[in-house]
Amino acid sequence: MSRPTARKAAPKGEYIETDSGNKVSRRSAITGTANITLGGRTVIMADVVLRGDLHSTRPVPSSSGKEVTPTSISIGRCTVISTGSVIKPPCRTSKGMPHYYPVKIGDNVFVGPNCAISAITIASHVHIGANVTIHPFAIIKENVKILPNSVIPANMVIAPGSVVGGQPARVVGEVGEGWGVSGGGAGGGLGVGGGGEEKWVEGGDLRELVRSIK
Amino acid sequence: MAQPFPYTYYACDCFDSTTTTASKRASQVLAAAAEEDERDFDPRSPRSNYSLFPLEHLLYCEDCQQIRCPRCVIEETLNWYCPSCLFEVPSSVVKSDGNRCTRNCFNCPVCTAPMTTNSLDTSGDNGPPYILACPYCHWSTVEIGIEFEKSTGISSQLARVANGGKHIPTQKERDKERERKKELEERRREGRAVMSPSEESPTTDTEREEVAPSHDELFANLGAFYKSQMEAQTPSNPFSSHDINYSSPSAYSRIVNLYSSTTSKKNKRNKHTPFREAGSALEGLTIHDSAADAAAIERIKREGWGSTLSPSTKHAQINPNLRFDNELRPLATLLCTKRSKRCRSCRHILSKPETKVTSTRYKIKLLALNHIPRLSIRALPLNINPAQQQPLAPPARPESAFNYNGLKSGIPTHFLLHLSNPLFDPIRVTLATPSTTPGKVQSRITILCPQFDVGANTDVWDDALASTLSPINRTSLINDAGQIEAGKIWDRGRNWTSVVVEVVPGFLKPVAFPVLAEDGKGGGEAEGDDGGLDEDEDVLEIPVFVRIEFEADVVAEERGLGVSVGGGDAKKGEGGAREKREVAFWTVVGAGRIAPL
Ligand SMILES: [Zn+2]
Ligand SMILES: [Zn+2]
Ligand SMILES: [Zn+2]
Ligand SMILES: [Zn+2]
Repeated sequence: MSRPTARKAAPKGEYIETDSGNKVSRRSAITGTANITLGGRTVIMADVVLRGDLHSTRPVPSSSGKEVTPTSISIGRCTVISTGSVIKPPCRTSKGMPHYYPVKIGDNVFVGPNCAISAITIASHVHIGANVTIHPFAIIKENVKILPNSVIPANMVIAPGSVVGGQPARVVGEVGEGWGVSGGGAGGGLGVGGGGEEKWVEGGDLRELVRSIK
Repeated sequence: MAQPFPYTYYACDCFDSTTTTASKRASQVLAAAAEEDERDFDPRSPRSNYSLFPLEHLLYCEDCQQIRCPRCVIEETLNWYCPSCLFEVPSSVVKSDGNRCTRNCFNCPVCTAPMTTNSLDTSGDNGPPYILACPYCHWSTVEIGIEFEKSTGISSQLARVANGGKHIPTQKERDKERERKKELEERRREGRAVMSPSEESPTTDTEREEVAPSHDELFANLGAFYKSQMEAQTPSNPFSSHDINYSSPSAYSRIVNLYSSTTSKKNKRNKHTPFREAGSALEGLTIHDSAADAAAIERIKREGWGSTLSPSTKHAQINPNLRFDNELRPLATLLCTKRSKRCRSCRHILSKPETKVTSTRYKIKLLALNHIPRLSIRALPLNINPAQQQPLAPPARPESAFNYNGLKSGIPTHFLLHLSNPLFDPIRVTLATPSTTPGKVQSRITILCPQFDVGANTDVWDDALASTLSPINRTSLINDAGQIEAGKIWDRGRNWTSVVVEVVPGFLKPVAFPVLAEDGKGGGEAEGDDGGLDEDEDVLEIPVFVRIEFEADVVAEERGLGVSVGGGDAKKGEGGAREKREVAFWTVVGAGRIAPL
């Protein structure tokens, strides 16, 4: 278990901000940081567990002959992982040996609080509600909405633009044509400043949400 | 309510608009709006279920200048695809093989989770035999006695094997068998007439008939029977000598027959067998067998309800007559479609996705959210109760503090209605709401500033460079008594304005009688049973009527086309004529749930 920086006595903000604008909570539990990539302007909230230590043990062939650090979790840009969620690479046992496969999460993905995620791929503009469990090797395509408390069974593929919910999850609908489009066309006409509403929409650009998290 | 609070739904009035012609112009809209003013929209009316939509589900027809909801568009299927393997299925295959995936996609018949092909091989080489297994509830084809020799082509393997492992004849074999049986029957009938029974066949035949024909078999028999019937009917058609198609649908040929029968009596005489119904199992007739019922009852006695299927499981099966869990079959995954949408009244295309299954882009997409204001509600971050007199410093995260699921009855609560304008012209907004919410729990609603202006959706940089808007002095909004002054907006920005709504949530167990319910305050102490409350009756939903007026270019506008992608440019028609426009619609905002006292 390694923390990005050592704890200091002076009271600091909740988040450590990296050069590329990632915001990582001091209270998150990240293991195997070398095996985790964050795309920039991505938020890892408090009590989030990222199991970067569970990486592929198979030798990675490289042209230079040097040893390459395998990636176990890669998260894209402007993605928000809310409090208490756990991301654990999926595992398959063959010949008695566990083999971990890397998790890939796209851009502008919102993961609600207290989710447990072992998907193999989550594409961009996906909105995941609170308390969702995603079993190993599930594939979630673009523009998908997962309702709160859903359980996505192992190996399930969720087609682009679906709304899924239930235990086990099944397709319950389609997102509207306006999914992810913030009102007002250019520049997201949503309110700015005090009294305005939240400046982001589900499945849309999460930049404003990321900016507001401090 | 599936949506978390707060939410906004938009009402499409297509269900009661008598004139959905394309020529509906501003004056008519005005008249309709005036008419609408007469009665309030009731979100609890059973009909409202079918007219309320979130904004992102609504399209906009620029020719009709109206919102288009899923009910007032026409859908056209562009293609079929399997949501599990994401392969497109050609329409010819859909016609012949039905609306299910014919690859290796199956859903668990018990819990609907997608099934995986697992090896039963214990040596660790993943060799045969294979089974389909549900990773969620652990049901597998082992329970119905089916194993596969190969891990690919599961569909065709499954089609050949019945539960328990017996071989299912293919369609061709079935057809052959049917013909054979029919011939036998015919021969037997003839034989009986001639009194020379053919000895060899009946024995084998009766043996086979012991087994009741399966659902698929009966269906195939019935299909073949009707086909033969239609073929028998068509020659009697007097027009058949001309170019009427032999394979025309039965309905059509029947209609033709109907007309032809009146034309000449000769035909009537010539007409042989009328269209008859199936008369035997070979023709697809199922005769109720009480023995099967008795056996089913015996089985339930022996094995209990546990072996029967739940109604929802039963409903999900392809064969609707299944009763027991050993009759389940893996369900091939249902196909999905990609569809384009047209306006129901003027037929213009409103949305057309790219046909590629994995593409999420649209060729055409006319969204309502680019044409009508987005309305949203949320709790006012400040506590301005006169009793508490708190300073007006806005807390860092006010949203998280407010409990939308615990609105307090009888205590005035302030919400902010936020309205943002997607149009490139400034709009004048008039809001209206009934003074008390409809339904049994009557909450009092007051919009403190029902009429205001909202700026145009100009370039974001305009806003940043020229911050001409004077900041609103909030303290001036609050009068000496600590109350928010009516008639003033709360805040505004480039293309948005927010106003305060005062809500006095009603009482969940009011006065037991509707007469007294008029007086919302009196019922607080009344101890009545809340048996009168229906589900979600405690949800505070406020109907808000929105009317916007603005001046727009008369010239045909095509800005909606590109807006969803890049935002479109906010170019105003140079020197073009301007016309006054008015748009009016009902919305319902879900402000929260009233907590029981
Ligand atoms: Zn409609
Ligand atoms: Zn498939
Ligand atoms: Zn299952
Ligand atoms: Zn139209």
